[in-house]
Amino acid sequence: MAIREPGNMDDLLEVSEVSKVFRVKSGEVRAVDKVSLKARKGEVTVILGPSGSGKTTLLYLIGSLERPDEGRINAFGEEICRPDADLVSYRRKRVGFVFQTFNLIPSLTALENVTLPMDLDGVPAEEQRLRAEKLLAETGIEGRLLKARASRLSGGEKQRVAIARALANDPDLILADEPTGNLDSATGRVVVDILAGLARREGKCVLIVTHDEGILRAADWAYQMRDGRLRGIEL
Amino acid sequence: MRSIKRGLRSFVRHPLANLVVVLLLFVCLTFSLSMLSVKMAADSQVEEVKKSVGNYAELRVSSQYQMQVFEEQREQDPAKRQAEARKMSEEELLSERTRLMVPEELVDDFSRQPEVASYDKVLETRVTLPGVESTELASALSMRGGPGSESASPSQSNSFLFEGNTDGASAADFLRGAKILVEGSFYTYQDYLQANPVVLVEKTLAEENGLQVGDTITAKITGAEGRGSEMELTVKGIYETVEVGQEGATRDPMAFNPAGSKFYVPLSVLQALNNTPGYVELGCYYLDSADSSFAVQKYFQEMVSDASEEGNRYELATDYSDFEAISDPLHKVARTSVIGLAGALAACALIIVLAMAIIVGGRARELGVLKAIGATDRQVLLQYAAEITCICLAAVILATGASAAVSQRLGDWLLQEGAAAEQAVQPSQAQGMPAMRFMSRNLYKEGGRFSLPGSRRQEVELDVVYRGGLLAYGVLILLGISLLGTAVPVAWINRLRPARVLAME
Repeated sequence: MAIREPGNMDDLLEVSEVSKVFRVKSGEVRAVDKVSLKARKGEVTVILGPSGSGKTTLLYLIGSLERPDEGRINAFGEEICRPDADLVSYRRKRVGFVFQTFNLIPSLTALENVTLPMDLDGVPAEEQRLRAEKLLAETGIEGRLLKARASRLSGGEKQRVAIARALANDPDLILADEPTGNLDSATGRVVVDILAGLARREGKCVLIVTHDEGILRAADWAYQMRDGRLRGIEL
Repeated sequence: MRSIKRGLRSFVRHPLANLVVVLLLFVCLTFSLSMLSVKMAADSQVEEVKKSVGNYAELRVSSQYQMQVFEEQREQDPAKRQAEARKMSEEELLSERTRLMVPEELVDDFSRQPEVASYDKVLETRVTLPGVESTELASALSMRGGPGSESASPSQSNSFLFEGNTDGASAADFLRGAKILVEGSFYTYQDYLQANPVVLVEKTLAEENGLQVGDTITAKITGAEGRGSEMELTVKGIYETVEVGQEGATRDPMAFNPAGSKFYVPLSVLQALNNTPGYVELGCYYLDSADSSFAVQKYFQEMVSDASEEGNRYELATDYSDFEAISDPLHKVARTSVIGLAGALAACALIIVLAMAIIVGGRARELGVLKAIGATDRQVLLQYAAEITCICLAAVILATGASAAVSQRLGDWLLQEGAAAEQAVQPSQAQGMPAMRFMSRNLYKEGGRFSLPGSRRQEVELDVVYRGGLLAYGVLILLGISLLGTAVPVAWINRLRPARVLAME
């Protein structure tokens, strides 16, 4: 399977010739070098690459946490690199992040971590609670774990909560950065299944960056990233 | 509102870190609020003192001029002086008699200054009352003569001290409570204007001579002979002299308040009895504030002292030095407390900034997460502002309670320390002061010649009470440190790059 042809109506994300350069003491590091890719609803796209290959930077560029130096990123039919783009709304409603280090707020409970994005969006408290409980149940967090502080959860539980949080405002694009990186292989498989399920059952566009080749089993499309450059992989 | 709720929740969810900050702020704020309340108490006490001390001025013949006149008279041969006096016209005689007096017109003119709230004119002189006897005065005179001396002459034992002013109730002895009217009434300003021959008599003297309100006594007019040399005075009131020990616990033990046999009459009546119409011994002025003392002194220099032919003839004595003596420890306490307040507030500022830098720095990842999941800068800021306000509010509430308990002690301690430091710096001056002060002339309001200067001193106390103003300052301090604390997350939010903190292991 080769890199997808352009012009498909289901394309949710289109990255065109994007580059990102970091200035360090020893000079410049071209973390992302003229990368182009597309991602579609209902499919899992995996970007495989070793540490330092630029895959996390690419993910952050797509999630608008970084700004590209060159190129364009079109998501949901809108150019997110434009200076007037509404990035707060984009991050809040269109994108859900899943991080390797989970990035939950340790002082909050599992339930509160999931309600937080909805709270920021002004969703009524009761609706927040019901939706958060449903999402957590779908990811396997129930009962006493709902009221447990995030700091007291295991790695697998944290990642499940992180996935539930990513889905809180029902975004169409899920960006997962090494979602199995801090998990044992069995838990990692469960997490990958959950992410794949989101694409298959709910029609989400799931973009996973990882160095774990095992994740490829869930991928619809795969890319290899090395030294900031991207190339398609045959599955 | 949701951000504020999140802030409150965050305050509760980080008890240990927040408790440490609250305790540190509590210590500094307790000191700040205590110092503030001490300063406010000291300032208020100074204002209180201003109402009774430092707002009094007295226009009178200067001591220097008096000495000059005495010297002149001493150098002159008495026989020659008497011969010269015989040759003098009535006008020259009046001028000679009033050399140590102040023209009433000058006293009235001086009262027209805007700073003068009220004024009085006073004359004190001896008047002979042929029909009145005083056992106390007679025994005092015989004791002065010593054993074996002859009894006092009738003219001496019938010579009584008279004080005249424009209103009996405003005579200094009655104002300061040394004497109390027990029967009848005071003479009034109308009595002064109409020169009604009325008099206030001392109770013991009245009893000895069988005098009652409405009775009349005969007084001799100085220098007058034949018909019209006497004046009938009607007793309008009888007063009692308060024992010194009964006047109050704060009264100076050396104060002197003789029962005596003093008579109080309208000024115009005493001027007639003394044969010095249009002249008074002094004019006393109550100013609107102690702060007006300098303006009045300046006016005196320009309009009276510099304008008169004999520049040193009159002086304007004030009790401003007494005000300074009383208020100086209070000013020192106020100054020290301001320094303490500034130091404590600076410590508060430092604590809140450092604490928030540590707290927010430790929660950088949380900030990154919030921004990554779509929180606006405003939402993040409000959340932190609410948490900081809770920390500061808790500290302010605790400190307000604690400072209520310690500020009085702190104020007393500062006052004592100030007094001890003053004594340590000027021991010789402090020892020498009573003697020096004794030599100076007293003010009329303090009882004139019949009081010791030591009694001018008031015991300074600091009454630290909580005022509404303190609460307002407390709110201001709360707002100030909260804003300062909020500046830290503002700086963090502005320079934070979510991608960086989220990528951290």
